[in-house]
Amino acid sequence: MKKLFVLLFSSFILLGATAQVEKGNLLIKNGTVITITKGNLEQTDVLIKDGKITQIGKNIATPAGVKVIDASGQFVMPGIIDAHSHIALDGINEGSNPITPEVSESDVINPFQIGIYRALGGGITTVHAMHGSANAIGGQCETIKLRYGTFDPEVLKMDGAPRTIKFALGENPTRSHGEGSGIVPRTRMGVEFVIRQAFSEAKEYTEKWNQYNKAKLVKGFRGAPPTYSYRHEVLSDILNDKIIVHCHSYRADEIYMMLKVCKDFGIKRIVFQHVNEGFKVAPELAAQGAMASVFSDWWAYKFEVYYSTAYNAAILSKNGVVTSINSDDGEMMRHLYHEAGKTQKYGGLNDEEALALITINPAKQLGIDGRVGSLEVGKEADIAIFKNHPLSIYGVPMFTIVDGVVRFDREKDPDDMRLVVDPKQAIETATFRDKLSNQDHCMEGAEFILDSELFNANKK
Amino acid sequence: MVEKRFIQQTASGIVVLLVCSCSLLAQDEKELKPVTRTYAITNVNVVQAPGKKLDMATVVVRDGLIIAVGKGISIPLDAVVIKADSMYLYAGFIDGLSRAGVTKPKEEANREKIKDPGNPPPDRAGITPQNDVRNSLNASDKSIEDLRNVGFTVAQIVPYGNLLPGQGSIVLMGGKSADQMVLVSNSALYSELSGANGVYPNTTMAVIAKWRELYRQASQAKSYQSLYASNRAGLERPGNDRVLEAFYPVIDQRIPVLFKSEKMLDAHRILMLRNDLGFSLMLADLKEGWPVANKIKASGIKVFLSLDLPEEVKKDDKKSDNKSNKKADSIKAKEVAKPKTAADLEKDALEKRKAEAIANYTSQASVFNKAGVSFGFSSLSAKPKDIPANLRRMIAAGLSEDAALAALTTTPAQLLGLSDRMGTVENGKMANLIISDKSYFNEKAKVRYVFVDGVMYKQEVKEEKKSDPNAKVDIEGSWSTVTQTPQGSNDGKVIFKKDGSGYKGTISGGRMPAPADLISVTLEGNKLSYTYSLSFGGNTIKVEVEATVEGDSFKGNATVGPRGSFSIEGTKNPKN
Amino acid sequence: MKGLQTIMGLLTAIVCIVVLRVEAQSPKGKYGNVALTNATIETVTKGIIQNGTVLIVDGKIAALGANVSIPSGTEIIDCKGQFIYPGMIDAGTNLGLNEISSVARTTDFNEIGEVIPQMKALTAVNPNASAIPVTRISGVTTALSIPTGGMLPGTAALINLHGYTPDQMYAGFEGIVLTFPNTGRRGFFDRRTDEEIKKASDKALASLNDVWEKATQYNKLDSASKGRTGYYPELQALIPVIRGEQTLLVEVNASKDIQAALKWLKEKKVKKSILTGVAEGWRVADEIAKSGIPVITGGVLELPTRDYDRYDKAYANPGLIKKAGVKVAIKSESGNNNYRNLPYHAGFAVAYGMSKEDALKAITIIPAELLGVADKLGSIEVGKSATLFICNGDPFETKTQVSHVFIEGWSMPMVSRQTELYNEFLKREPGVKK
Repeated sequence: MKKLFVLLFSSFILLGATAQVEKGNLLIKNGTVITITKGNLEQTDVLIKDGKITQIGKNIATPAGVKVIDASGQFVMPGIIDAHSHIALDGINEGSNPITPEVSESDVINPFQIGIYRALGGGITTVHAMHGSANAIGGQCETIKLRYGTFDPEVLKMDGAPRTIKFALGENPTRSHGEGSGIVPRTRMGVEFVIRQAFSEAKEYTEKWNQYNKAKLVKGFRGAPPTYSYRHEVLSDILNDKIIVHCHSYRADEIYMMLKVCKDFGIKRIVFQHVNEGFKVAPELAAQGAMASVFSDWWAYKFEVYYSTAYNAAILSKNGVVTSINSDDGEMMRHLYHEAGKTQKYGGLNDEEALALITINPAKQLGIDGRVGSLEVGKEADIAIFKNHPLSIYGVPMFTIVDGVVRFDREKDPDDMRLVVDPKQAIETATFRDKLSNQDHCMEGAEFILDSELFNANKK
Repeated sequence: MVEKRFIQQTASGIVVLLVCSCSLLAQDEKELKPVTRTYAITNVNVVQAPGKKLDMATVVVRDGLIIAVGKGISIPLDAVVIKADSMYLYAGFIDGLSRAGVTKPKEEANREKIKDPGNPPPDRAGITPQNDVRNSLNASDKSIEDLRNVGFTVAQIVPYGNLLPGQGSIVLMGGKSADQMVLVSNSALYSELSGANGVYPNTTMAVIAKWRELYRQASQAKSYQSLYASNRAGLERPGNDRVLEAFYPVIDQRIPVLFKSEKMLDAHRILMLRNDLGFSLMLADLKEGWPVANKIKASGIKVFLSLDLPEEVKKDDKKSDNKSNKKADSIKAKEVAKPKTAADLEKDALEKRKAEAIANYTSQASVFNKAGVSFGFSSLSAKPKDIPANLRRMIAAGLSEDAALAALTTTPAQLLGLSDRMGTVENGKMANLIISDKSYFNEKAKVRYVFVDGVMYKQEVKEEKKSDPNAKVDIEGSWSTVTQTPQGSNDGKVIFKKDGSGYKGTISGGRMPAPADLISVTLEGNKLSYTYSLSFGGNTIKVEVEATVEGDSFKGNATVGPRGSFSIEGTKNPKN
Repeated sequence: MKGLQTIMGLLTAIVCIVVLRVEAQSPKGKYGNVALTNATIETVTKGIIQNGTVLIVDGKIAALGANVSIPSGTEIIDCKGQFIYPGMIDAGTNLGLNEISSVARTTDFNEIGEVIPQMKALTAVNPNASAIPVTRISGVTTALSIPTGGMLPGTAALINLHGYTPDQMYAGFEGIVLTFPNTGRRGFFDRRTDEEIKKASDKALASLNDVWEKATQYNKLDSASKGRTGYYPELQALIPVIRGEQTLLVEVNASKDIQAALKWLKEKKVKKSILTGVAEGWRVADEIAKSGIPVITGGVLELPTRDYDRYDKAYANPGLIKKAGVKVAIKSESGNNNYRNLPYHAGFAVAYGMSKEDALKAITIIPAELLGVADKLGSIEVGKSATLFICNGDPFETKTQVSHVFIEGWSMPMVSRQTELYNEFLKREPGVKK
């Protein structure tokens, strides 16, 4: 309990300034350091100063006043990165329109969700907090660091991480809009069309503004500016390579379609999410430099993932596609190390390849690989310390460290780690997940559309 | 002395008459004018401003204004004298955000289904900033009286709606018509971070995105309009857009945006929006604001804290402690003998955290005060009758009485730009006054008179007795009940019917699988009790309700077998 | 590391050979007498046999030990460096009843009606369900296929994951499923108030009591009239449970509901029952232990049920229940066709407190005992069914590869659609250019 209060207290003070991120000093002694990029180092120390790794080596002297974690017999690895999650958000789907790039998860970060702490308990330090998949072009996402304990949503944001946006192909957008509301898209043809239409309109919009701004340079110009559109502003940013596209997709055909759309509109940075049939178009993905963020073994919960294989990550990796394993789920994200381990069963990836799937590769997909994703001097001190090897089923995260601050301590943390308590909530309320509606969580918040009369009528 | 007493007696006679005639004539649509608009309140403890008290002074009010405050003031001949010996007089309270008097729009049953939920018409999207709250203000709405009865004389009111419901007004809590009540029209552009139902913008993130877009479009439209106005030749005619035009006074910083912001995350989000767009901001009905006190202070925005508080957890043990310490001790001894189970310990810890959470809400005002943030209060989500008790809870949690009074009077006057007219008891200020029989913050205090704009509203003091054997109470009819249990509130319905000299009844709802007959109903004076049995997890448990009836409501306790006693409130349903 | 790659290479080669054969002919099970030699044998019930042999004759384990004489003509599989385990039993699936969970027409686990115990899972099990080979090549050989939905949604059946008709697959257990009235929330979309939930569960309990009373009466009449009562399929299906001849599988998760279920089972004098799910079992483990009723718990890879619970409670749950003295089987997460992850659910229970030995038993001999099939399944013993698998390490570890699976003596083709897709697409031809 004491620690929680310290947490509460420290964040309380921090609120005075805007988004002041707490950074720690720490010495992790004598662990097996899994650097990811530079091999494993036995009985090695990691020194952290002001939230960054300043030294990795043997027998580092303890600087005065620096806290020491004895990691003897334990494994020290980079904090795990989940490239697809929906935690720490109030609202996942603005499911009312097939094109909503103007909405942004950065506006609705919720630092109090217990899921953030639970993810720390699985060694996670960075999360791509995404908009859902109800729309062909969904909302902008936010890359967050799990600085649990803060009361300020701004503090969770990974300052300086590239902007990202959610796209979605296939069943979810067609179900939400075509079946749900009776508007395009109801098919994969329609999905392609609405995306191309949005980009084409955005190009026109930019062109109009360019003309207007050019005309304005002429002395004495008088004229009406084009009407401001937040939606088209963001779409233009995508076309101008200012935002990384993260595209929910399953089937090979739709993945291939999107690759062509990217080519036609000059979009260079795209990561396909879920991408269960990515293995079928792995050569095309690799050729275009597109990346893939996949489930380890989820399949058969809907038709478009029926022809899946748990060997997906292995096939993609071996074909040269930068691949990560994600969770899209508050439970699964607590054991991404185990999900990565499954690639050793399904496709025989070695330890380094398997761990890259949850560290440096997702970092590349989020454009933050210069800062996190491996243990190197100069990088941010986001670290997970495991009892037993993280790829072993017996691996247990013991400490999770973000910016050199211990945010999870298996031995010392109290049971109840809620930051805020609802003064009206009844004490005993248990929640059980509905096992049979094992959907991707991407559709959370879009139920109102699926429940609409029209949807039910169509179903009949 | 004799003369004085005579005047006083006459005056109180007039007061009684006035009140009687008011209540009698209220039935007629036509009301007689008051005899005079001059009042003298004598021998009263005047709290002119927080920390500034005049003992045994006189306040004279004429034509809606305070014309004299002090000792030894001569009483005008035309004045009705209110002998307020040992009473307390304050400036009328000012409410930063309320819907008192605002008629809630009726739900349209068969609204046309929106064909394209992504592009709904603005009104369906909750975007009606051009709406003026004056159009839905009803001077005879009971909510005005309710708020006035606890001392509020002025409130900033806003229309119902979601994202941009419309423009607020600052109004008096009394008056014959909407227009008469209004002090300041279009005082603020009101907004909530709540989405439209089933259409764009549905989520908070879309609400924020839409806000940004509308604001930027409005800025653009406004500058084009001024360009057009400067020389129309050769320019395309600018379009009309009432939605965007409603933003113009905001863009000009002539009025603030008034945002409802209960939770701290709302506050963060709204501040983010303000930092993006730069409008002047008023946050209101803040409940969970203690962690953002410093942020709010640094941002310099105006803030109104909610007068609503979460209910305190009732402790059954306390009662027994008071009744008999010996008994309690022996119970305690038994508890020591029986070690607590893991489940007990868990429950204790959870209850402790819940109590801490409630304490955080209660001490919010004190935290703001200590942080040096000047704040007013808002009643939007509070029940008026709970407000005095909630203020006392805040004071018990560390807010000084002076600070509480400031937040009800001087500070909101300042925040709303009304300081020249109200907030203190001084010559020349509007005659918005409260007179209570004890210090307002005393648990036993009753508000006796409220003056709004010089018009006096007197309140009869109801004798509060536990049981009044002489009370004539008719309980026949249908009652809605709400029982507060640890699992949350539980709604039920009880119907009482005359049965000979007594009553019989049925109960439904709540945990009843089907309506059941009451086992017994007794009514002695205004003390009501009834019992029924409840099937519960295969067991049958007897429920005993004991309550005191007052008019069309009752309050009391429901004892549910061995499960404990819970507070219950009933209200009589209007006859159909 | 190199060693592993070599093994992987070999495996790939083996799989390729199998696939080549596939092109000619779909892979089939192979039946015959086989000796598995030089293996480390985890018998589960009788310790570990080093360097031992399992002799399979006529679908059964005919001999077992370090010195087994192998009859001539017996096929020999050299298991040097390999391990033999009894087939894993997942006692909580809807295998064969659920092809694609979101496509209603491909699911058969959820019939209309609240009280329909007469609906038999075994009838609807699809022997060709795509999840069956996916599951069995991971060493999960046997599964309890459970109907779900209403209060008494039907009769569950234990099946072996090989066979072409339900009868060929039937593994000797059927049980009546009871979804005990619950006060928990079903998930993020469940927006009912606490009151509504309570009301619904009270109502459900009242109707369950009504069903039970009627079934009890029906049983009396049936006994008195020697079975000449009228056609009443719902109650007829409940008679064996009332008589204590058949097991009642009581799905219950919230601690309060577990307490209520224990009380109810006692009151109704239900002789044979198993609690299933039991997510909050750790909260009331002592009470469960006192009742003597066994538990099939899982999935283990789950979130805590309450936001104030310790983060690892779901992982620790099986260990905590076991520690209190309850007989515990572990199942995987039902409904998602990932029953191949059963060993990982057990593995997580170990990582968070259960002993390795108990966890292995919890997916082999204990479910076999609970479901009354321990004479055939759940351990490697002479006389038992030859339902087992061969692997190269600890079956809980994800690195471990399963090389052979035998179900009732039938050697399974180590192929599923997922492995076929791997082989087709690892090096796709043509590549980018045709």
